[in-house]
This record gives sequence, C-alpha cells and structure tokens, in this order.
Amino acid sequence: MLSSQRFQCEKEFELTLFDLILQFVISGLSVGSTYALIAIGFNAVYNATGVVNFAQCIFIMLGGMLGITFHSFLKLPLMVSVLLSVMSVTFIGALIGRGILRISKSQQVVILIFITIGISVSVEGIALLLWGPFPIALPSFSGENPLFISGAVISPQNLWIYGVTFVVVVSLYYFFKRTIVGKAMRAAAVNRKGAYLVGINVERMVMLSFALSGGLGAVAGVIIAPITTSSYDVGTIVGLKGFAAAILGGYGNMFGAVIGGLLLGLLESIGAGLISSTYKNVIAFFILLIILFFKPTGILGRREAETVYEETI
Amino acid sequence: MVLFGKKDYLPLSIFAGIIIFFPIVTRNPYYISVLNLVGLNALVVVGLNLLIGYAGQISLGHAAFYAMGAYLSGILTTKFGFPSWPTIALAMLITGSVAYMIGVPSLKLKGHYLVMATLGFSLIVYVFLGQLVWLTGGPSGLGGIPSLKLLDFDFNSDFRMYYLIWFFCFLAILCSLNLVRNRVGRALRAIHGSEIAANASGVDTKRYKVKVFVLSAVFASFAGSLYAHYINFVSPDSFTFIYSVQVVTMVIVGGMGSIWGSLFGASILTILNQLLHAVKEYNIISFGAILVFVLMFFPEGIVFGLANLYKKHKKFFYQLKPSLQTNPPLAIAINLNRRTPFADPPLCLRQSNYKTILKLHKLQKSFGGLMAVNDVSLDFKNGDISAIIGPNGAGKTTILNIISGIYKPNSGKVYLQEHDISSFKPFLIAKLGITRTFQNVKIFKNMTVLENVMVGFHPKTNSEFISCLLNLPKVEREGKFVLEVAYKALEFTDLANKRNAMSSSLPYGEQKRLEIARALAIDPKVILLDEPAAGLNAIETEEISRLIVKIRDRGVSVILVEHNMDVVMGIADKVIVLNYGEKIAEGNPKDIQEDNRVIKAYLGE
Repeated sequence: MLSSQRFQCEKEFELTLFDLILQFVISGLSVGSTYALIAIGFNAVYNATGVVNFAQCIFIMLGGMLGITFHSFLKLPLMVSVLLSVMSVTFIGALIGRGILRISKSQQVVILIFITIGISVSVEGIALLLWGPFPIALPSFSGENPLFISGAVISPQNLWIYGVTFVVVVSLYYFFKRTIVGKAMRAAAVNRKGAYLVGINVERMVMLSFALSGGLGAVAGVIIAPITTSSYDVGTIVGLKGFAAAILGGYGNMFGAVIGGLLLGLLESIGAGLISSTYKNVIAFFILLIILFFKPTGILGRREAETVYEETI
Repeated sequence: MVLFGKKDYLPLSIFAGIIIFFPIVTRNPYYISVLNLVGLNALVVVGLNLLIGYAGQISLGHAAFYAMGAYLSGILTTKFGFPSWPTIALAMLITGSVAYMIGVPSLKLKGHYLVMATLGFSLIVYVFLGQLVWLTGGPSGLGGIPSLKLLDFDFNSDFRMYYLIWFFCFLAILCSLNLVRNRVGRALRAIHGSEIAANASGVDTKRYKVKVFVLSAVFASFAGSLYAHYINFVSPDSFTFIYSVQVVTMVIVGGMGSIWGSLFGASILTILNQLLHAVKEYNIISFGAILVFVLMFFPEGIVFGLANLYKKHKKFFYQLKPSLQTNPPLAIAINLNRRTPFADPPLCLRQSNYKTILKLHKLQKSFGGLMAVNDVSLDFKNGDISAIIGPNGAGKTTILNIISGIYKPNSGKVYLQEHDISSFKPFLIAKLGITRTFQNVKIFKNMTVLENVMVGFHPKTNSEFISCLLNLPKVEREGKFVLEVAYKALEFTDLANKRNAMSSSLPYGEQKRLEIARALAIDPKVILLDEPAAGLNAIETEEISRLIVKIRDRGVSVILVEHNMDVVMGIADKVIVLNYGEKIAEGNPKDIQEDNRVIKAYLGE
C-alpha cells in the first residue's frame, strides 16, 4: 500500500533522486539558517556569563508570535510587524539580562540557568493563554510563487531566510571585529576581570549579549514562521536544536555556530526525508549526543588545554 | 547511624509517626490520594535533589525517567505477563543504564550540557510514547496495569497503596540522609564547591557526577513503576516537559541540598498542582513564576530563606549568643588515643629508600604559541623543602599543574619515585600521595572546616554509593576514623578550635591553612604549595613558614612556589629559579642569591 502510494507520487511529479536531495538541501539550509542564528544567540550569552540561556527558546516563539500578532491582529504592514517584533524581543532579552538576572540574590551559574528555565516556562504559559494552543501562520514576506531549480521547488521565503541570515551574520562579524562595542563584548567574554580593569562596563556587555540573543532568536522565529507556522510551544524544540548546533560547531565559537547550524539543518532534513519525518526531532538529538560523546569540543571548538586553563584561573 | 545519624533519629521517628497516623485521623479518600501523589513526587524529588543540590548538575529529563519506569512496568506486566516486583527492578536497571549512557558524554566537560541532553532525551521519549502505538497505546494511553501484590495482599486501594508508597518514601529519605552525611555526600558537596579542588583532593569527580545522575534516574524510575501500578493506567500526558519543570521547582522551593526540604517542596507543590489541575495555562505559569521568584529571592529554598530572613532582622537575638556558629564544643567525642595515620612517627623512615621522590624529565608545555614550560628537568629530594621561584609568567604554577595532573605536558615525563605518572588524572595523583594547594584559595566554601579536611582524606577510604546509602557498619567505622584524622590534621595546622565553623567564614590566612590541612590529611609523600604566603600579613607569613617547616619535619617533601623571598630564603633546602619557562639556576638559597643570572632575571641588566 505504502509502496504503491510512493510509486504514484513519483510518477506524478517525476522526481529523480537528485531532485529529491536538492529539495532536502534547500529546506535543510533554510531551517539550518535559523539554527545558526539561535546558536549564535546561545553562544553570545554563554560567552558573557557562562549560562546556558534557556530563555532563548521563548525568544524564538515570541519572535514568530509577536510578528503574527502585529500583522494579523493589529493590521500593521508585514515588514513593520517583523521589525517591531524583533525589536520588542530584543528589548525583552535586555530586560532579562539587565533586570531579572541582576536582581537575583545568588549569582551562581546553576541558579541563573534555573531562572532562565523558569522565565521560559512562565512565558510559554502566558503565550498559551494569549494565543491558544493552535499553530498560526504568518504570510510569506513576498508572495508564494515558487521558483524551480531542476525538479526542486524553492519558495521566495527560503530566499528571504538565506538573505536575512547572510546579512545578519556578516553584520555580526563586522560588529565583533570592527566596532568598539563588539570588541569590548569579546574582551569581557574572554576575561571578565581584565575587562573591568580596562574600564569596560561588563554588566552592560552582559545585558547586550542578552539583547543580541533575543534579537537573533526573534529573527530566527519570525523568518521561519511563514514556512513552519508558530505556536506557543515551538520554542523548546527549535531552541534545543539551536543548542545542538552550537555544540556541533563548538560551544562558544561564533563561526562554528553558523557551520553547526547549517550542517545540522542539512543532516536533519536529509535524514528525515530518507527515514521518516515522524522521527525528525530524534535525529537532531542523536547528533547532539554523538557529538558530546566523541568530540565534545565540536567541529571548531577551542582546544582542550585552553579550556582547562580558564578553569584554573 | 551512631556517628552522624543521631541528628536524624528524632525527625525520622516523627516522620514515621505522621505517616502511620495520618490516614487514621483523616479518612477522607481524596486527601489520601493526593498524599499518594505527594509521596511519588517526593521519591523523584529526593533523588533529583541529590543531583541538583549536592552535585550541582541540572536535569530536565526526569519526566522521561519517571515515564520509563511507568511504561516499562506497564508494558512488561500487561503485554508480556512479567511478574510485577521483578519488573520494577528490571525497569530500574534499564533506566539506570540509559541514564548512564546520557550522563557519561554530557558530564564529561565542565559546563551545563546535561540540562540540554536530558531535555532532548525527554522530548524523544515523549515522541516515542506517542508514536509506538502497538506497544505504548499511543496518545490514548495504556490501561489495565495490575495492582501490586505481596503474597496474598493486594495493594488495590488508595489506603493500601498509601502505606506502600510512604514506606518506600521513608526508606528513600533515610537512605539519602545516610548518603549525604557520609563519604559520598561529602565528595558530592565538594564537587559543588570546587570541582578542580575536589579532583585534586582525590575525588573522581566525573564518575561521581555520573553515578549520582544514575541514582536519581533510578529513584524516578522506581516512583514511575509505583505510579503505574497505583493508577493502573499510563498516558504520555503525565510525562511532559512540564513534569520535569515541576519536580525541579519542588527541589528549588524545598531548598537545594536539603533532603527534608524536598519532602516539603513536593508536598506543597503537589497540592498546588492538584488545585490548579483544571487550568493548564495557570498551572504552567504558576510553576514557572514560583521557580523564578524563589530563585531570585530565596535561592536557598523557602524554609531556609525565611529562616535567614528572620535571622537578619533579629540581630540582637544573635548578639546574645555570639558563639553559636564559631566555637561550639566538639559535637562528637573523638578518641584521640587511637593510632591514626596522622599519629604515626614521621614518615622519613618509610620513604628513606628513595633519595629522589619526584623527578621531572624534559617537561614541555605550551599554550597556543606561548612556551610556558620549556624542556625543564628537575629532581626533588625526599624530605626537602624545594622552592621554585622566578618572575611572573616563568611557568612555576604550570609546573605544579603538570605535576598534579591538571595539565598534560606536551612532552616529557613526571616520575613519582620511579613510577611514570605524567598521564594520570588529578584524583589518581592525589591517591598516589601528591596533594596540593591553589594560588587563589580553593576551599569548599559550602562545607565546614572539619568537613573540608575530611574530603582531603577521601582517597584513603573506600565506601561507595551502595554502602553509604545503607550506612553499613563499615561506613560508620570509616567515618569515625576520618573524623579523627581530620581533627588531627586541624590540630597540626592550629585550626582545631574552628572545626565546626563554615569554611567561608574564616579569615584569609586561616583559609590558606585550612587548604594545607586538607592537603595534609592523607599524609602525602609530596605536598605542592602554590604561593602559600601571598596576601598574608607579616605575622601570618611567619606562621605559615613555621608550618611548612613542621610539615617537612614530618617527612613530607614540600614543593613550594613563592614570591616572598624572606620565606623562600629562610626555609628552603633547595631553590630552583625559572625564567621564561626555562630553568636558569638551582642550588641552596645562599648560592642562588649570589647567582648572576638570577640577579639579572629579577633586576634586569
């Protein structure tokens, strides 16, 4: 029964294996781009504070949901809604970094991680209350007319995702390498005390890193929303995959995050296509465990000696 | 339970009394059924607290372990006709193995990978529970799970199950209290305090973290099995991510590292959960909000948090008894007549066969492009105080880190007596008799002075998880023995009267001596002291110098890195000078002071 269905399918669309793989690559790269953005967000906060920022998950969800709300309910133009959504989530990120985590009586990393978990869970609850349990979609940024490459379909939204990710990554590169604030952030990440001593406001850098992670999460959430739709609980799974991407690329390594994200997206898309889409989430998780097991420093991770060195100081 | 357990007798018997008499007082079946859920959650929470509160690791996957216990019991008994009790044990075994497989890779590194690995795992388990319909019944669940039977007695009602659940809950609390008060508990708390210092004190930190993670998963699995046999029905909805968050919140509210607190947290939050059961949204929000609120303002848990708040605002109450914390009479009688390792005659006799205790052969270590240690060969004579000096960045601390196993050299070897130890992990090196202190003091701030030193004796004792959980007589004997040793080590360093103070409350100079006491507890062959006099005033420096000489006179070889030349020139038998990672001079203090290269290195041309 199943094989006859597949046969029909193949006949109808006359898909060759090459087209099929090409299709998986196209969708894998677009999902992978969002993982890359999320992974950079994880890294930014991790480098600045040592915290696995669980609130990254809600940034993704809020990015999508706020975009949809601004557009469908407040009837704002699509691009304005998208920008507004990213800005609001950036602000929320800064608020978490500056407010909640700083007021906390204990600054132990374990406690801070728990706080981000708590924030994430309560915001998810609020989202469930506001938007209900069902997924909602955002319209594509520029229509639905697909392009065809060989036998594969590439939708305009895919192009948007590639473009936005490229622009964001390049401007982040510029920001970290060329601007004084970006350099200060890197300095504070490498050596907190040293950064204090040369007059860098480390706490502001922590806040900035949260804002950055909020903004990146929101961008990821809002650009993928037209393809995958968004719902109150979308953040946890996508966030987890972004984390897996960060580990895959080497935790804390910005460039590794991009490579890890794209690679994870590709592996997941091809794996799900060839095996079964039901177990799509299982694939990302197994990759996470395999990386942790065999090469915990990731593809571009720092060498072990240096991490030990940091610990002892 | 003679040694530490005394403290627990009273609360445990009150607890047992409440358990036994509660259903007799109130015969309301609804209350009983809620209490049963409290008991099941408490089982999970107590185990989870061992992981979170003691080892400082976070798991968001306990819903999955709970689910594994429940589903394994349910499936194996209904579909394959397995007997229920052995199945529970089998489920614990399987869950434990799975936890082991997750724990080993994710606990390998510093950082909090476990939180994501467990979260991922629980999402996967949830997917499988919903998808494998032929096995698990899919989203609509699996029914008809038989209730538990013991001989002919059927645990088929709330009341009967109540006594069974709470019996096991009582056992779990008893065992956990045993665990945390004994050797393993001290080691776990030490890991929480400072992982590197724990490792250098001889605790196999990685293995302990994995073991406690597996233990907590096994607790959850057991609770899950009981749940399945109690409700007779399981469905994926009971084991969502939200359940993991709920049990974590219970741990936090009760207080990380407090076993009784876990019971408290499980009680009030399970009841809250029951009240909010109807509205899922508010349930999720309230648990998240409670988690954030408690962590922000009472990170030590509600009970301790409120107690501390009370203390803060009742200062005069404490002024009446200022000695409450610092110098109470020794709580436990210590039999000082017994011969402990620390009472042995100086060890030079034992080690006199060896002229050279420690030998470094062509050590090389670089960080990136920087050569921190370049081709250094050194011999350390048995029973000497050997001082390593040199300008900042000369590679002195790096050499100590290589000897103690924290760094692996790029090339070259370290020999203790004639054994090559260069590839050993820090805890093994400590076990072989090389212990150390750190440049920036790394005491276990979450433990008392005495407990700190007791951790130092860890490598010479061997009671592990099972024997500690059961508090076997061996553990008790060992505990007594360790106490004596630690006490003597504290006497040796003049800290005996501070033994019950929190180590974080000591002044800096005493913290440094405490670190030395901890390193001395096993009577090491070699002790590595990294700048023991840094940051001390003149009197404290004098004291430390005398202490170091006293250590040498016991027969312990001392390797000292120090900038204070009065100390070095006053007490060292041999001085080694490093500059830019290379040895530039070696000899007795007098020769070194006159050596031209040394003067040049320190003063420039």
